[in-house]
Amino acid sequence: MTPSRRTRTPNGGLSRRHFALSLPSALLASGCAAPHQGTGRPGDPIVLTLLSHYASGEAKAALQGPVDAWNATHERVKVRTKAVEFTDLLTTFMVRQAAGQGADILHPYCLWNGQLVQAGVLRPAPSEHAEEITRGYGEAAVAASSVGGKVYGYPTEVQTYALYCNRRLLREAGIDGPPRTWPELEETAQRTARRDRYGNTLVQGFGLSTYDDSTTVGQTLALLNAAGGRFVSADGRRTAIDSPAGRAVFDLEHRLVVNGASAPGVNVYKAFPSGQVAMVVSAGWWTGSLKALMGKDYRDVGVAPVPVPGADDKRATLSTGFMLGVNAASEYPREAWEFLRWLNAEKVRVKSAAKGATATRMSSLQVSVGSMTGRADDMRTLLGKGSDPNLRPFLDALAYAVPEPNVPGAQQAKSLLRKNIEALWTGQQSVDDALRTTRRQVDQEVSRSW
Amino acid sequence: MVNTLAPVTTGRVAHGAAVDGRSRTRRRRQAVVAYLFLAPALLFFALFLILPLGFALLLSMSRWAGFDLGDIDPVGLDNFTGLFADGSTFLAPILTNTLLFALGTVALALAGSVLVATCIDKLRFQGLWRTLYFLPIVTTVVAVGNVWKYMYEPGGLVNGVLNALGLGSVAFLQDPDTALPSVVVVQAWASVGSAILILTAGLKSVPESYYEAAALDGAGPVTVFWKITLPLLRPSLLFVCITQFLTGLQSFALIIVMTKGGPGDATDVAALEMYRQAFSYGDWGTASAAAFVLFVVVLGVTLVQLWIFRRKGEDA
Repeated sequence: MTPSRRTRTPNGGLSRRHFALSLPSALLASGCAAPHQGTGRPGDPIVLTLLSHYASGEAKAALQGPVDAWNATHERVKVRTKAVEFTDLLTTFMVRQAAGQGADILHPYCLWNGQLVQAGVLRPAPSEHAEEITRGYGEAAVAASSVGGKVYGYPTEVQTYALYCNRRLLREAGIDGPPRTWPELEETAQRTARRDRYGNTLVQGFGLSTYDDSTTVGQTLALLNAAGGRFVSADGRRTAIDSPAGRAVFDLEHRLVVNGASAPGVNVYKAFPSGQVAMVVSAGWWTGSLKALMGKDYRDVGVAPVPVPGADDKRATLSTGFMLGVNAASEYPREAWEFLRWLNAEKVRVKSAAKGATATRMSSLQVSVGSMTGRADDMRTLLGKGSDPNLRPFLDALAYAVPEPNVPGAQQAKSLLRKNIEALWTGQQSVDDALRTTRRQVDQEVSRSW
Repeated sequence: MVNTLAPVTTGRVAHGAAVDGRSRTRRRRQAVVAYLFLAPALLFFALFLILPLGFALLLSMSRWAGFDLGDIDPVGLDNFTGLFADGSTFLAPILTNTLLFALGTVALALAGSVLVATCIDKLRFQGLWRTLYFLPIVTTVVAVGNVWKYMYEPGGLVNGVLNALGLGSVAFLQDPDTALPSVVVVQAWASVGSAILILTAGLKSVPESYYEAAALDGAGPVTVFWKITLPLLRPSLLFVCITQFLTGLQSFALIIVMTKGGPGDATDVAALEMYRQAFSYGDWGTASAAAFVLFVVVLGVTLVQLWIFRRKGEDA
């Protein structure tokens, strides 16, 4: 039997074997049709899709405003927004990309950048945009939007971490102001903590909570950065937490739990607004939620920089953020970058600010929803007189914040760190064990990801 | 009348061959029609079972970040060896937690459902009781998980009862020693309804004459339960046991709602780890390898259960 006779049926059709082989490919390919990019007819506008997590409420409306303004003033390129909840964002990127339906413009959490770059999803910013980004944003925001020294997008919302205090609880414990150093932090936490006779926590002195990544990893990394430590090494290939700074942070947290000043079982997002937590390290976005939840009790809330180990130590904290980048599979990268420049870099007049004051559309958008961008000048303009003074420490922190690591495998490294922090807080591991296990597990996983 | 035993003539041979040919054609046509009727089901089966299964097998021996089908990189058995490498948490505590979770759920749900089904069998308004116990099944896992989470909280209902009894509070979901048993209780509670339904049906099929004979022989209720009710319930028990165990091994929704696998690794199970590896870490190879390991575990456990019950003379 000749090869040709083996592969084809007598009437020239496909053999059963080839049909069987081609069926899965056809089925997979059927899901890989090109995304909608407009009608394709000459003269018709190009339609760019923007996939973000601004899926509901004021964030969705805030993004739609400038997008509508762009669409009204640009005939050739239109932008269509698509949104999913944050918890579904990475999955949606994956599924749509694998099916050839990836959006032209992506809005990822910067933690995923290494993973997305390694998978070839993000396109590096063209040199003129990279220069614009490097010039216009703070160091932490630029670093968060870069992988291996290359810039991949315009930073959008940037969150820095600071210390929230309930001033009423501090006053009741005879403490005048927020702690500046770790010894003061420990003392304040001890003096404000209260429990009932059954061991139920009435007031948590310092809010350590296993509730989510922000309350475990975010808080620990903010303290680690404040102690001059880093989670991963400069080259991003191994963990650096098993260091004197890392040990100091784990020791501090361990002491707070063992001495009863912290109760990791308490959900701080509920307990702090209820006046059951005296201090907690968290990100700037929380101020907006607290205002809505606490009503007039919000006047008791104060924000201060993250305490440092010693009075002479340099300030540092953690920053996290998102960015807008262009899909490597987009057919219209030039148009997509142009839209991003218009949204993120072009300055427009700010109605509410002093005469002649300008800010980017993205900065105005972020401030309108109680968030910030990495453009300190815009933030100073927008958070002028009359704005919440509690936002000021977060704005100041833009100058000294350390970006969350975004190397390939960063998400897994963060999960592993969280597990080990929880194991430390709940007494499953000693400080030494937690540091050693974190180093071993993170090094193993991060090395697999490169 | 035709003598079928008479010698066959040539004409009859030809006639017979023609009949055979027509019969074969008819049978072939019937087979084609049968396959056509089966085609939608077979296509569905191929599309949603065979194709994903083959793809998962391919991924389990590859490295893939989940973004581009062209980037699937074969790595042989590396993903499997990685799961069981020194320092990996997959075998312990993840797989161990999975088995403990499933075993605990089956034991609690089985004991509870046998007890409740036996009681219901002796009560009036049996339909009402069965409906009441079945209600958790029609409630979403998210709602069940959240309600129980609030009940377990330091200031929640369960600790309130303990405090009222003069006992100290227990950090049910925050203490690594109590977190897994606490979730097992909820999973068992949520699945006891369907088990009761099956067991009450099983109890109805036990002939009344056995109980009458036992009563005549002076057997007490405990003897009747151990010697008559339980042995005759064995087919229903086997079904409940296997289905609950399979559900337990694959379960992760309740855990993600109540503990997200924490504190630490205390409630991390295989299905949750697979989900994280694939959708959070973009390591589809490891996720698929873990899925196949779990498949082998599920298959092994099911075969052992079947073997044990068959030795006792019961089929599933």
